[in-house]
Amino acid sequence: MMVRRATLIGGVLLAAACVERVSAPGHCPSFCPSGQIQIVDTVLTSIISRDSSFRGYVTALRAPQLLAADLPGFVDGRVVFRFNGYGQRYLLAAADSGTILGADSARLQLTLARRDTGAHNLSIAFYRLPITIDSTTTFADLAGPFTDSLVRRVNIDTLLARPGRKDSITGDSAVVDTLNHVVVLQLKFDTAAARYVGTDSGTVAYGIRVSADSLASVAFTRSTLAWQWYLRVDSAGTPVARTPSPLSLPFSSFVSDPPLPATDSMLAVGGVPSARSILRVAFPRFIRDSSQIIRATLTLVPVAPVQGAPSDSFVVEAHTVFTDVGAKSPIIVDATRTDTAVIHVGMSDTVQIEVTNLMQFWASDTTRATTLVLRAKEEATSFSQIRFYPSAAQAFRPAIQVTFVRRFPFGAP
Amino acid sequence: MTTRIVWIVGVVLVGPALTGRATAAAQDSQFGIRGPGTPGRWESVRSRSTGGAFAPFDPLSPLSEAELADVPQLTATAMETASYRDAEVAGTTSALRATRFPLLNVAGRVHRRLAIAAGFTTYLDRTWDVTLRDSSLLRGTLERYTDEVTSDGSIADLRLAAASRLSRRIALGAGLHLLSGSTRETAERRFDDTTFHTVQQLAEVRYSGVGVSGSLLLAVAPGLSVTGWARADSRLRATVADTTSADTDLPRMAGGGMLFSPSASVRFGGSVAWRGWARAGAGAFDTWSWSAGGEIGAGHMPLRFGVRGGQLPFGPGPTAPTEFAAAAGTGRAFAQGRALLDVGVERLERRGGGLTERVWTALVGITVRP
Repeated sequence: MMVRRATLIGGVLLAAACVERVSAPGHCPSFCPSGQIQIVDTVLTSIISRDSSFRGYVTALRAPQLLAADLPGFVDGRVVFRFNGYGQRYLLAAADSGTILGADSARLQLTLARRDTGAHNLSIAFYRLPITIDSTTTFADLAGPFTDSLVRRVNIDTLLARPGRKDSITGDSAVVDTLNHVVVLQLKFDTAAARYVGTDSGTVAYGIRVSADSLASVAFTRSTLAWQWYLRVDSAGTPVARTPSPLSLPFSSFVSDPPLPATDSMLAVGGVPSARSILRVAFPRFIRDSSQIIRATLTLVPVAPVQGAPSDSFVVEAHTVFTDVGAKSPIIVDATRTDTAVIHVGMSDTVQIEVTNLMQFWASDTTRATTLVLRAKEEATSFSQIRFYPSAAQAFRPAIQVTFVRRFPFGAP
Repeated sequence: MTTRIVWIVGVVLVGPALTGRATAAAQDSQFGIRGPGTPGRWESVRSRSTGGAFAPFDPLSPLSEAELADVPQLTATAMETASYRDAEVAGTTSALRATRFPLLNVAGRVHRRLAIAAGFTTYLDRTWDVTLRDSSLLRGTLERYTDEVTSDGSIADLRLAAASRLSRRIALGAGLHLLSGSTRETAERRFDDTTFHTVQQLAEVRYSGVGVSGSLLLAVAPGLSVTGWARADSRLRATVADTTSADTDLPRMAGGGMLFSPSASVRFGGSVAWRGWARAGAGAFDTWSWSAGGEIGAGHMPLRFGVRGGQLPFGPGPTAPTEFAAAAGTGRAFAQGRALLDVGVERLERRGGGLTERVWTALVGITVRP
């Protein structure tokens, strides 16, 4: 009897239990809620003001890459570097040293980080420079040595075309790193090219010019620059060969001509030294307080097409700041709050950067400074820069196109 | 007394809890989406199994109050429904399901001539989920999107009622109604083009209102009773974050019924009701509804049956949607009559504005008399 009752109760409860499924296609307007999701799309042309640009954030001395270019009408850029030597004597044993008689040869390691694949007959030429070069050395200071002190020239295309990418005559070799998309060059400097002068403590300085049929623009990785001496040392009257440890992290920089024009009222981004632009956004209250932003696009009109080789194209990032203190405003470097646009060389079209997440960030925290900072993603890695019209240029001023949703009329029948 | 009440409340809540759902809501309908909601049915399982015909005479159905005067002892009831609904519109059929817990009522005598009852039932159900595929021109491009607007919740009618038998033939009752509830509502738009972020808004909407009701029960002859009831509700105020988002006028209502018992084991009844929902705004209609049913057998397992019909208060078009239902059920007493299990099944069809809803509803009720 109890079993029958329990079965009956259990069966009834089981029959009554079911999952919830209330989702149905809407047939509007008859069987839909009276309230609708209302989307508004508007171009806010006057919310950006007090915009300006500043230059000098990353200089050639701090750039992660060393730039060389020969782009007539735009820039002539040359790499300079200097390795300090071991002095006049070399330690042969714990208590025995000998005079360095000279160098049989030397080997320079260069990492070609970027080149234009459209450039043919790409060559790099090495010039002996005064060892006094430093951070104040200018392009004009080195005009003489870059004219009459050629020590050797390497045709990159020819070297890469050789079997095994090795030149047995010159002793040069190349390794193509397809993973990191770089070419590592090992270049041999003979006795004449690599002179070990004891009175100079073995310090040597060289400059690099690049040339090609066209689009001669390359970048070398600064951190992997290395120099290997093969020395001859006097050991109790007998010359002996010695291979000291390679020298790295030399003084290195690059010089260019003509210099970039001074910053003006236009909004510059990129170049060397790198420039950033700061834009103050007057975030409308009616959007911030009572709507949800679903898309926001910053629109910038370039003053002129970007100059350079196609490989000089760069990425512009839009950041917001922790606090707005002008040129030195600390930017928030956060992948979730960074928006980008690729700037292609030769382009003159309007640049659009999606800044939806930044606007949403400002809407969620009204204490934040509503300031945008535009900068190159990798600053000082390209001579190219882009200049935009500022807010003072009424016809071409920066604007933000915002798509937002008004508050849904919840609770209405 | 306190122990008894705790025991009652515990027992009546066990059933719904076992089935995993304890939301105070009635059977919902697509017709309620555009209005304030789908009105609940203020009937116990026993009354609903008779098509609602017995509701004006059932002390455990919170439709009227006068019949409370005849409650013999402390009694509590709770109800659960499970509905399987096919909504067909424009050649498309959606299969929908819902489980609800629409009624809890406790009644008992506090004096020889006075009985009181307290409990809740669903006043308006506002649970629905509408999805829509559409497109709009945005920034010069036709952007396709999917909208989903949902509402989950209901407005409950919390009733405190009292009734007294003035004489052998006359009983009077009155009730105070507190309307209270909330819905969790969401609106979402998801674009195919992910450049546009997904729109997601949600709100907790709270509802409040009050109402009063009164009823009269007359024994006109041996085995024949008639009753009449009336009710007036105020405005239903919807608030979102302490801001009033809508004020909806609620209806005046009136109805009556007749119960004929030719013998102790046979009862037939009929009822009719009018509700002035047209006050609620555009797209709302005054409605008439009727029901007729019977119960045969007063022993262990009586047979109940009934039909009902009428109009729905909300719908598109110039006329009110209509509904018709047939129901049947039975009950079983346990523990020397201290516990009752009522079960029923109802087949309902609603029509209007191009929409046809067909619903199977399973009804389970538990009544305890400690």
